[in-house]
Amino acid sequence: MTDWNALSDEAFRRQVRTFFETEYPEELRHLPHRAKFAEIRQWHEKLYAKGMVAPAWPVEYGGMGLEASKLLIFYEEQQRWGVTRGRDMGVQMVGPLIIKFGTQAQKHYWLPRILTCEHIWCQGYSEPGSGSDLASLRTSAVIDGDYFVINGQKIWTTMAHDATHIFMLVRTDSHARTKQEGISFLLAEMNQPGIEVRTITTLAGEDEFCEVFFDNARAPRENLVGELNKGWTMAKALLGFERIFIGAPNLAQNALVQLRTIAQGRCMFSDPVFRDRFAKVALDVEDHAALYSRFADQLKRGEMLGPDVSMLKIWVTETFQEITELMIESAGPDGGLIGPLQLGNVGVDVLANFYKARPTTIYGGTNEIQRNILSKAVLGLPG
Amino acid sequence: MSNVRAHSQDDLRMLRGSVRTLFERAGGIARARNARDKGWDRQVMNELAHAGVLGVAAPEAVGGLGMGLTAAGVIVEEVGRALTPEPVVSAIALAIGMIQRVCPGDAMLATAISGKIACALAWQERGLRGYSDQMACRFDGKVLNGSKAWIAGAVGADQLLVVAQNDSKPVLVALDADGKGIYSELRRQSDGSQLCDIGFVDAPGKLLAEGSVVSEALSTVVADATALAAAELVGVSAKALELTLDYVKTREQFGKPIGSFQVIQHRAVDLYVAQQVAEAGVSEALARMDVSADQGARIREASRAKARACSTAKRITRESIQLHGAVGYTDEFDIGLFLNRALVLSAWLGDAAYHRARWMDALEANEAGR
Repeated sequence: MTDWNALSDEAFRRQVRTFFETEYPEELRHLPHRAKFAEIRQWHEKLYAKGMVAPAWPVEYGGMGLEASKLLIFYEEQQRWGVTRGRDMGVQMVGPLIIKFGTQAQKHYWLPRILTCEHIWCQGYSEPGSGSDLASLRTSAVIDGDYFVINGQKIWTTMAHDATHIFMLVRTDSHARTKQEGISFLLAEMNQPGIEVRTITTLAGEDEFCEVFFDNARAPRENLVGELNKGWTMAKALLGFERIFIGAPNLAQNALVQLRTIAQGRCMFSDPVFRDRFAKVALDVEDHAALYSRFADQLKRGEMLGPDVSMLKIWVTETFQEITELMIESAGPDGGLIGPLQLGNVGVDVLANFYKARPTTIYGGTNEIQRNILSKAVLGLPG
Repeated sequence: MSNVRAHSQDDLRMLRGSVRTLFERAGGIARARNARDKGWDRQVMNELAHAGVLGVAAPEAVGGLGMGLTAAGVIVEEVGRALTPEPVVSAIALAIGMIQRVCPGDAMLATAISGKIACALAWQERGLRGYSDQMACRFDGKVLNGSKAWIAGAVGADQLLVVAQNDSKPVLVALDADGKGIYSELRRQSDGSQLCDIGFVDAPGKLLAEGSVVSEALSTVVADATALAAAELVGVSAKALELTLDYVKTREQFGKPIGSFQVIQHRAVDLYVAQQVAEAGVSEALARMDVSADQGARIREASRAKARACSTAKRITRESIQLHGAVGYTDEFDIGLFLNRALVLSAWLGDAAYHRARWMDALEANEAGR
């Protein structure tokens, strides 16, 4: 087992960079779409062999246990080389949930299977009538002997058609006093008669999001994570993980690398107006990373993240969008082109980046919801 | 750099607390108004010196605290929050920073750190790029001729330290501020402070140092001062935002606090997020400068800090006026004082656009050099 934190930051960067440059398949660099597992299986096996699947997990659960500075380096190198994030919902969301709230048996069973990708996870939160007002969710799970019986519908479930399992918020007590009470966290297998998945085609023309229908689907009672009816509290605690994940610099860094490729290919760095705009977004990304590392350090010290973590998501997603606007401008008359814009022997898919940036200000709690949270829970503004 | 002593977050918190208390006892923000007529206060500068503040970034070996720019940044954030009129950044970074690098053995260093004398470094003639062999100011070994512009901390200084040329060698010359042949022109700035340009006509001076040590030190101290001016701006915008948040929580219209309206809330949040990004970015830049000996990298970080601090302070101080409504446009309300200080600090040593350009140049130079 490598003790990554024993390396100097520079040595760590060199190792990660060399590994990506020598091992990552050329045809998967800067993938314009969200990869299915079959496409990236071999890459995942290489990561797994190196023990590099879960950079932020503690070492005792098979993670790299990276301190914040190294976690940032890992992400930077990933983006620099255009390495896919993979099918990482298990690593980013379910793992932290189980590590934090799961029983020993649950940790023992689920965590290794996340690392091997024997299980591939999707997240069942939103419902057709419960977007920003998530706590109004209606998908129900009723105890029947050793099982929960699940009925209802989830929507915007990312890559559900390529997932083996779903972790979801379900209503387990419909008579609770408030809508937040009576919600539980449940894990379920996707491949069963009671579950049907339909893909939703996005503006980008990709089948990335899904609707998931539950018609008497079943999950064993031991798949309940944490206490019955306490799911909302846990979901809120988990939001810290989700919001630092969706507030990470990755996407913006990656877009910046590609903007640079276009700008170099089109000799735009000789234009002072473009230089200023490039410097502005590049510094927006760099200073965001400084803020991000403060939160990542907090997490590393074992502290829970507070509602202030929402600021990361607001800043980085809006910066990401600004970068993709600059990419379109830089493409000039090719700004409406589908597929890669060829610049010498490299190609940059301008619109894939642009489309990818659109939902970032919507998912995981819209940026308007994040602003409401910061306003009330951090600034203490009234009403 | 190796002469920076390691310090904990607790050390920095204590330092911040004691400096904040010192400024509150001295009179707080009200002093920014008084300074319009009276200039900065010698007594407060002496108290700062007594607390070790002026030597915070100087190595322990020459009588400083050896705590580097990180600690200096914490102090000058408090300077910004209290709109302190004393020229703290120019004293720490430019004057003392220069003496400690080019003539650490000179008795002037100890007297400057102890606050017995106030020094101002005169280096700019045109442009902001530090020493240039185009400099018109000449020193012949005895007297100085030429002129300097935008001299920070010159009003009220005892000694002027002038970067000039002698036989095409860079030199650092010390002059008594009230000596012969010194003609200064003052122009008033928005925060009540004075911009000072000085002409020298056969002004007698004393040579402190000569050669490349002067030009190299100048690049270093200008980068330091730039980064610390950024930290001061971070303090200015932090306090302006605090006052504005307090205001929107208490000011009532339509029967409720205006801070309960979502449009106000979202604007307040955007300012808060911008401020957090600025605090993180500027303090990371200062920390990197403390551990880097690479001049190019240090200049890049200084520009990063100033670009961020200027654009954030600009946004927060302007929006703060808007969120205060009509009273924000009055001289009576304190919020305008923050706008006026932000204008001056942003203009000093290069604004956001200037530093973004310099940051880009430094980035490309670094990559070309790899």
